[in-house]
Amino acid sequence: MNRLSSSGVALSAPLSLLLLLVFLVPLALLFPISLQPFQDGAAGSGLTLGNYSELVTDSFLRSVVVETLLLGLVVTLVCLVLGYPLAYYIVQATPRMRLALTLLVIFPMLLNVVVRSFGWIALLANRGLVNNLLRDIGITDAPIRMLFNHFSVLVGLVHVFLPFMVLMLIPAIQAIPKDVQNAAYTLAATRRRVLWSVTLPMSMPGILSGSILVFVLSISALVTPRMLGGGSYKVMATLIYDDFLQTLNWQAGAAMAFALTGMTMVLVFLSSKLLNKFGGNE
Amino acid sequence: MKSDRLGSIALAAVAFFVVAFLQLPIIVVLLAAISETSYLTIPPKGLTLHWFSVVLNDVDYLAATWTSLWLALLSTLAAAAVGVMAALMIHRKLLPGAQLLSSLFMAPMILPSIVLGVALLHYFAALGIRGSSLGLILAHTVLIVPYVIRASLSGLQSIDGSLTDAARVLGAGPIETFRLVVLPLLKPALVAGGLLAFVTSLDNVPVSIFLLGANQTTLPVKIFASVEQGVDPSVAAASTLLILLTGAALVIAERWTGFHKHV
Repeated sequence: MNRLSSSGVALSAPLSLLLLLVFLVPLALLFPISLQPFQDGAAGSGLTLGNYSELVTDSFLRSVVVETLLLGLVVTLVCLVLGYPLAYYIVQATPRMRLALTLLVIFPMLLNVVVRSFGWIALLANRGLVNNLLRDIGITDAPIRMLFNHFSVLVGLVHVFLPFMVLMLIPAIQAIPKDVQNAAYTLAATRRRVLWSVTLPMSMPGILSGSILVFVLSISALVTPRMLGGGSYKVMATLIYDDFLQTLNWQAGAAMAFALTGMTMVLVFLSSKLLNKFGGNE
Repeated sequence: MKSDRLGSIALAAVAFFVVAFLQLPIIVVLLAAISETSYLTIPPKGLTLHWFSVVLNDVDYLAATWTSLWLALLSTLAAAAVGVMAALMIHRKLLPGAQLLSSLFMAPMILPSIVLGVALLHYFAALGIRGSSLGLILAHTVLIVPYVIRASLSGLQSIDGSLTDAARVLGAGPIETFRLVVLPLLKPALVAGGLLAFVTSLDNVPVSIFLLGANQTTLPVKIFASVEQGVDPSVAAASTLLILLTGAALVIAERWTGFHKHV
């Protein structure tokens, strides 16, 4: 037993040490920064919870937090509405079609988020592909503004997180025993009825874990909102970026960062509780 | 029954629309990179490889590509080494708090990357190593180690325990057993996890952007910064290079071990 333990210590020591020094300690040291007052462009003396309470009391900061959460919610819903039919289709497709479609879902996921956002800029800009096409066909004279607004950020984030949703839904739909669906058909249920009363409810664990994953990832996304939202569009992550690299108000940025972390932790915790309740094994 | 058939057609249509949507921006980047005009039309007006030569002759782009590559490679190797060791410990439950430790090991995946980025900015600045290569490699290793651990754990689970027992009975020590039996069987899963880790490092902006020194940049951070100054076709060419790098990594992993079975 003693020898076993010593090999256990030896095996986990390098990573534990790395995470202690480059993960836990840096986070612990950032926390006091979030409690410092910010005065005249520098850290003031004393400790305060002001940076946190301002997230609620300051109307600008509050609007950024609300914007972030709403955006996360809409992205999650759109990913679910687009992702479920695709996952459902992939599960019942022939093996060859299945492999092809799965690879086509995975491939964009491996590509750089910066590159994909750039692709959307080329598509949605005033002189971009979509507007040029609309003008050439003669539908519009003046370009329709599709870039640097809510729409472009939504499109970009859905594109980034849709594959995650699909890959979470596929095993959940697949895990539903065929017998249950067949039983419903035998009892003369229509396909739509089976989908609504059997398949959808039984894939709930996958729907929940996919939705929480997408929501958590969307609210902390930096690159897509920054590139597709433009300089004046603010979510929590882009504000943290500004606070640390541009306005140098590290105090406010640190408070925002821990607020974001707190929301993520609560959601991850809730999702594990919910999944236990559903008896899922994710 | 008729509505059922309509239903399947609608389902197939939605599925193909969604898959096409996922490929759309990638195709557009590839088109933009070989188009003569600085804006895009369908069909493209004239094809050229000019923008690639612009990028490949640009010292800044080359340096950024080089930084991205060594950073991803070194941090993947470091993550593979410490990650496999940690996965062995978790798999064999060698420590009483194995479950708790494994949550700590996976935590960098759950924490928003930007939070790790700013925490390390503050920490490295205080230590005076902001902008150092060592700091960047350590940060990326922390960020990608969960991918290696997750892949190694699923690989370890599929290894038949009687094989390692047999090796031990035949007199192999623990290190020999690992090197001659466990590691070869673990290779496919490890390559898959390593590839995901490599691509994640190659992709990263929210950590790198806070830690890079003044005269140093990675390819995604450089593209990110140049887009803020306006879109030009050389960005598309640089992006295409990144797509090709990712594709090459995928092909190598697939040839080596059959990557798609381990995603």
